[in-house]
Amino acid sequence: MKKCFYAAAAAVFTGLLFFSSSGRPASAFPPPSALREVRHSALEDMLALSLGARRLFADLWFIRLMQYYGTQEQIAGVEEKEDAEHGHCHHGMGFGTGKYPEFTALSRHIAALDPYFKNAILYSAGSLAFNMDRPDEATDLLNYALVNTPREWKFLIMLTAIGYSKSSEPGKVAQIIAPLVRERDCPVMLKQLAAFLNKKAGNYAAAAEIYTDMIETSRDPFYTRKAEEELRKMKGLRR
Amino acid sequence: MNGLKKIFKSVSCPALFPTPYSLFPGCLDTVRSVAAETFRESVKNRFFTIFAVFAACAIYASLLVGVMAVDEEARVLSDLGLGLMELMTLAYALFHAAMAIPREVETKTIYLVFSRPVSRPAYLLGKASGLYLLSAFMLSVMAAIHLSLMALRGFPPGLVYFHILACIWLKVIIITSLALFISLFSTSPVSTMVISGIIWTLGHFTPEARFLVEKTAGFSGRLLKGAAWLIPDLQLYNLRDAPLAAAPGVWFQFAYAALWALGSYGAAVLLFKKKEF
Repeated sequence: MKKCFYAAAAAVFTGLLFFSSSGRPASAFPPPSALREVRHSALEDMLALSLGARRLFADLWFIRLMQYYGTQEQIAGVEEKEDAEHGHCHHGMGFGTGKYPEFTALSRHIAALDPYFKNAILYSAGSLAFNMDRPDEATDLLNYALVNTPREWKFLIMLTAIGYSKSSEPGKVAQIIAPLVRERDCPVMLKQLAAFLNKKAGNYAAAAEIYTDMIETSRDPFYTRKAEEELRKMKGLRR
Repeated sequence: MNGLKKIFKSVSCPALFPTPYSLFPGCLDTVRSVAAETFRESVKNRFFTIFAVFAACAIYASLLVGVMAVDEEARVLSDLGLGLMELMTLAYALFHAAMAIPREVETKTIYLVFSRPVSRPAYLLGKASGLYLLSAFMLSVMAAIHLSLMALRGFPPGLVYFHILACIWLKVIIITSLALFISLFSTSPVSTMVISGIIWTLGHFTPEARFLVEKTAGFSGRLLKGAAWLIPDLQLYNLRDAPLAAAPGVWFQFAYAALWALGSYGAAVLLFKKKEF
């Protein structure tokens, strides 16, 4: 009698497990094979997957990416200067432009770890397309992220803006990325870009509004100082 | 609890309206006593202090990383804190689950317990409940520290934070139940912790494993499919990692955790009954 009860209990347990497996969603992430090693990341990637900590490790890689991009490049024969004509340098102090050969690999690594990390992907794509003049790599990155997040309108807007950037119409690009800039958590680098493009197109009011927003919302002292400086310059122009 | 007892005792005909208390009055008292004792012992243990201090330090470190992330501070702060909380709770709960019964056998306390009219299933249920309570308590303390740190930095968390906490607790419940079962047949607490750690790791790979299994045809495919069911899908509870939209319903999450906890408990009871003390 007891054995029958145990057998029945085991059967019910197995049946419920089988039943529950049909209700489970598929993986929300790219397969582990999508992760390519960058900077000897194999061990970290293994930990990210086995501890279920993709998001946390994507954060760490984003910090590394910002540190890498925030460090002035020291390449023999490469003189960094602000590309005032095209407005592609978001910092305007000699860095931001440059080759940064690991940038795409690092960005792609973040996207493979956590394709839902929108700000990191927007930041990377914006930097690649508008600061480093590598729109094709930016487009590839956005398309890669869109595989997992096909309805992400921010990526679609960015793709359109990159497309328009080739036509040398700063006003149009600024208009396209305007919805992105209005988002509360928009990367400050994109806000800076939008303000710059508006200023270049002669939309000083819009530019001033974005700079003010940057001062109020960003925690990055570099960008807030830059925004204050630009606002002062614009006030001088109006006078 | 006493209030409930009074209510149940006041029912004039327990045979007509059976309740847990009217059916197993002694058992539930035993469960409560064993659970309280397990919890008290774990809290008294010096390890708890070490973990609490470590958790506080680690969360403080997360603040530093948050500063490095500049405009992503809120996200990094939240992710690092939740990740650390999960690992701390897992490590502490696993340690106690692996030690709970072997330690009592080693110190011969278990002989004293079973010299009284204490049923083995009730004893096991008490141990498991004590461990669940311990992990809930530990998570609550760490969450309070984490929330105050986040509030100090000006990042009030949304309701989803509490859903994530509940999911972490459910994950820990599943693995603790399994560890308690494993501790009954493993050779040492270390091996229990290692086996449970492997299950934890595999549990996070379950969606990928299922994807691979679906690609495998024939007998080996069926065999792998069966094996994949026998690993708890911990990715169902990984809300701190995956987007909320990709998560199953709350009821499904609770039911799945209850299924694993009950399954492990049933298997543990079977093994425990065969043991001679």
